Amino acid sequence: MSNGSFRRFLGEKKALAGALFLLTVLALVLLLPPLLGQDPNLTDRSAGFWAPPSPEHWLGTDDAGRDLLARLLHGGRVSLLVGFASAGLSALLGIPLGLLAGYKGQGWQFWIMRACDVVQAFPSLILVLCLVSLLGPSVWNLIFVIGGLGWASVARLVYGSTLAAKHKEYVEASRALGATDGDILLRTILPNVVAPVWASLPMKVSRAILWESSLSFLGVGLRTPQASWGNLMNSALELATLTGRPWAWIPPGLCIVTTVLALLLVGEGLRRSLNPRQGR
Amino acid sequence: MKTIWKRAGALLLTLALTLGLACCAGEGTQNEESAGGNLSYGLSNPWDSLMPYYSLSGSNYSRIIYDKIYDRLAYIQADGTCLPRAAKSWESSDDGKAIVFALDEKAAFHDGTPVTAQHWVETIQLMTDPASGVLGQGSFACLTGTDEQGAQVAGETLGVEALEDHSLKLSFKTAVVPEEFLVEYNRDLYVLPTHLLQDIPIGELVKDDFWLKPVGSGPCKFVSEVAGSSLVLEANKDYQLGAPGFDTLTITVMDKANLLTALISGDLDYYAFGANVSEENRPTAEEAGFTVVEDSVPSTFYELMLNNSSLGTPELRRAINMALDKELLCQQSTGSLGTATNSSILPGTPYSPQPFGSYDPAGAEELVKESSYSGKQLTLACTSARASIAALIQQDLEAVGLNVEIQTVDSSTLFAGMSDGLYDMAIASHTPNALPLWFTGSRFHVDNNIFHVQDLSRYTQLVSAIQAETQDSQRLALVAELERYLGEEMPFVPLWFSNSLRIHSKTVEGIDYPASASCNENVWEWTMTGQN
Repeated sequence: MSNGSFRRFLGEKKALAGALFLLTVLALVLLLPPLLGQDPNLTDRSAGFWAPPSPEHWLGTDDAGRDLLARLLHGGRVSLLVGFASAGLSALLGIPLGLLAGYKGQGWQFWIMRACDVVQAFPSLILVLCLVSLLGPSVWNLIFVIGGLGWASVARLVYGSTLAAKHKEYVEASRALGATDGDILLRTILPNVVAPVWASLPMKVSRAILWESSLSFLGVGLRTPQASWGNLMNSALELATLTGRPWAWIPPGLCIVTTVLALLLVGEGLRRSLNPRQGR
Repeated sequence: MKTIWKRAGALLLTLALTLGLACCAGEGTQNEESAGGNLSYGLSNPWDSLMPYYSLSGSNYSRIIYDKIYDRLAYIQADGTCLPRAAKSWESSDDGKAIVFALDEKAAFHDGTPVTAQHWVETIQLMTDPASGVLGQGSFACLTGTDEQGAQVAGETLGVEALEDHSLKLSFKTAVVPEEFLVEYNRDLYVLPTHLLQDIPIGELVKDDFWLKPVGSGPCKFVSEVAGSSLVLEANKDYQLGAPGFDTLTITVMDKANLLTALISGDLDYYAFGANVSEENRPTAEEAGFTVVEDSVPSTFYELMLNNSSLGTPELRRAINMALDKELLCQQSTGSLGTATNSSILPGTPYSPQPFGSYDPAGAEELVKESSYSGKQLTLACTSARASIAALIQQDLEAVGLNVEIQTVDSSTLFAGMSDGLYDMAIASHTPNALPLWFTGSRFHVDNNIFHVQDLSRYTQLVSAIQAETQDSQRLALVAELERYLGEEMPFVPLWFSNSLRIHSKTVEGIDYPASASCNENVWEWTMTGQN
């Protein structure tokens, strides 16, 4: 991000608020658990099951007598890790493939773009459910599946920008100066086409968090007893919890909603600051 | 101004359309709920085959489906009372070594063919054929002419005979009390339309396409199935005990957590196993206007299945038993409706063992050290609904030095995985009855060695001795001996018994709620009230 873009981003108040919120959440989920000293997987036999909020357990306990605040914070780590890592994996796969398809054309373009079509044509929830069921529940499998299936939209974005950029004069100039294809792709085209990807990444992160939450809510996301915001929401499936224990599912629900909202605000701010000519 | 009017008009149109659609939907629902219509029936786990002698899981979820399509000899009530069903009456003969059943002449298969004693004879002959590949053969092991696995022995006469068209005689290796036989085996004995199975080679019988659209003689006829998801049956208006008071029975598989809400919202009329509900959901059900009644006898038994091959020493298995705080586990699972146990024998029966008491983490830790446990990670399989129980078990076992990983799977995978030896432990539940061998009697056979016990001889010896013993005092002593041996070897860990709370349906009358524990439901007495 250039200095100008960064200055423009600092001028986006909503995006800035979103970024600050994300940083706060990140700091809380990373720093607060050691300070609280609560084990998220340990049953407090004295507190009992489904204990309401108390000075010992600020958000009460769950159906196995585990501290819900500790699980919320540890769950936040997992949800954010899945979100950021799978978005990163999508970018890592999608950017080079999009560059190759746009720059090389012909066979590269055909096969990579048809692969994009195939990936995007599948009903994604069913595909993700099948893959996660096959691979088994774990954080890394979730990242692999969500990130592995998210590359197509990134590749398409980069492909379009590369198609437009490769005939620009600065690219022709590089070629005339004897730069190799690799140099042109990495040093000349990539810096000029990657901006839309940065703008789309927060949305990818938010989507990955929602994916993880949905899968964990359905009970196929993580291995028991690992917590995530999604599987904390899972307890709300029980009618008695939904109606009588709001402390068990409102906090993770709020965390998901506010984090996704903050990510969307940051993404929108990035889009505007990286491309100031687009309407506000 | 013009734009505002246009927008207002569009809004009104949308509202009118929404209202119209809602009204139409309302009318449709009311029509569907009229008496004699469709009865929506919920089930929390899928059945695994419509061939009643080929259930991989052997689960009650399959049995409760077979109960509708196929007919059984008797109808068993929760207290063990046996009422007529395919058999009008029965009596003991040959000094207690045989039972003669008088079959109901009105019974007929769904294709109109009358059910005769010959159908029962041919069914049992087919199912005990060693080449048939059926999975429920163990149920026939009590008959003469069968081996310990229930397969026919060449050269011996099979203990089933048609005395007359509607008189069936079963002969046993040892003396049996007819009612005890029915309580134990009735749920696994179905009559098949053997006249329709004649052309199917015996080796292909259990997997033949016939079972995709089966014909039985039960109170409901098969209509359609989406495997593992839904099953549509229609009332057998000619059923000998009376026509069910509905036209169709739609059985839908849905998550256990949604059954109560579906009942409250009217999406379901009733759900399987007596529409039972957890204690914590009781107020919600009562607030919704439902009557909730508690069973007088436990309806569910929970166990921790152990793989005796991978958990190779009795010390290790006993350590697992001692490490578990069963009272806490029972409380988590049932609230105040359960009783922790060290035995699979139903509490309150003459065979019940000594009072419960086994939680000893320090002793368990010692036993783990004595055992050959290498520190390897043990897998504990459970369904997602029992993930919290599994988490508590994991903590208890880790506290005594056992390293445990939890795998959440569906119930069919769980049983198949235990059978294949994929898991070291699994949490399972069963429906008990008052007989001392209801659980242990069928689990220590070569063909059903789900605990992977290396040497079954002592178990089979004790089980056979108990089955053969007719004197109460000696039987009690033998049961105590078996319990002692189970306590030493600990092939499985008994956890707790749980009573059930039943929600009485507002839309269906005549349901014998507790009888579902015996995997039978009196659907021929059900009537739709037409209320919501």
